[in-house]
Amino acid sequence: MRTDDLIARLSTGLVPVKRVTPPMLAALGWLALALAVVSVGVAIAGFRHDIEQRLMLMHEQVNLAAALLTGTAAAIAAFHLALPDRSNRWALLPLPFAVFWISGLGWGCVTEFVEQGWPALGTSFSCMSFIMGFGVPLTLAMLWMTRHAAPIRPAPVAALAGLAAAAIASIGLSLSHHLDAAAMVLIWHGGSVLLVMLLSQRWGARAMCALGP
Amino acid sequence: MTATTDARATQEVRWGGLLAAAQGGDARAYDTLLREVTPRIRSLCRNRLRDTAEVEDAVQDTLLTLHALRHTYDPERPFGPWITTIATRRAIDRLRRHGRAGGRESNIDDLPESAAAVAPVAEERLAARNLRDAVAQLPESQRTALRLAKLEDLSLVEASARSGLSVGALKVATHRAMQTLRRRFGASE
Repeated sequence: MRTDDLIARLSTGLVPVKRVTPPMLAALGWLALALAVVSVGVAIAGFRHDIEQRLMLMHEQVNLAAALLTGTAAAIAAFHLALPDRSNRWALLPLPFAVFWISGLGWGCVTEFVEQGWPALGTSFSCMSFIMGFGVPLTLAMLWMTRHAAPIRPAPVAALAGLAAAAIASIGLSLSHHLDAAAMVLIWHGGSVLLVMLLSQRWGARAMCALGP
Repeated sequence: MTATTDARATQEVRWGGLLAAAQGGDARAYDTLLREVTPRIRSLCRNRLRDTAEVEDAVQDTLLTLHALRHTYDPERPFGPWITTIATRRAIDRLRRHGRAGGRESNIDDLPESAAAVAPVAEERLAARNLRDAVAQLPESQRTALRLAKLEDLSLVEASARSGLSVGALKVATHRAMQTLRRRFGASE
């Protein structure tokens, strides 16, 4: 087909379109949804029995704030990056917060090791299922909201969507699940967040296309 | 230099206005925009691709993506970066596919006996022409699906991103196109 014919075809019978929601507004909308969903999850699972003492601990407050900042920054970055005219550098926005979050957990591991020796490591599939259970549907919600990124930058947007969703889910997990050892938190929280992010990066483009134009 | 930059900026402001009007359903503004912006798209694609036919295919891919993403343009923001990202993306896709295809192909001119072995005979030419005619008679969506999924060997996700059709619609269109061609040439299912 000639390019002139294609242009004629595209402009014939043109229908009005609704502009996409501005990225900051969309990010706030998604964050409100994510926090509401995770709050319901915590309400159903119940707070951990020592929640009041835990919330008084400095490192726990820092951990929760870092997870919230990482999730918020990743959501803002994903909605910006989904638009063609935004810089690729938006992808870097959550990086400092994520590094701060992970290094905080890593530092916790080191201090615990110095004070108590090698921690007792075990499996905690309930952590993984909480983060996967809330993270995957919230990722899908964001993939649907950013589906216009499919022809432009599907993989980075999907990875950021996975990071945002899993980080917010991990806040709910910290409030409801009794897991003290920083090494366990790092392995099971951090590992689950990474898993959701990688799954989204791998399958996100396909999901965006399947969720509609 | 400054005059060129100013002219370019003025042009982009005009294109932004035309696209904003097109978002509201103004077909004439949209037609004008696409015709005016095509040389810019061609120039952007030429920065990445050498082959003229490849450039033109990338231009058409860009126009299709522009159409699918026209709701993502914010009239408050400059038009230039918006169209540059779309055109560059489509040109890079072409380049990558070309690289992939290149890995599977070898130049038959380098093989001494190939000329005699694959010399096209009249019958083959006729069959090829019949096939081309049959493909040309397919509906637009089926032809696009066939081109992307079968001839260019794209994955469904890539073909969907390029054409703006959903994966489901592409599967159906490709299946129907193959059925029509099979019927036309009397092949069994």
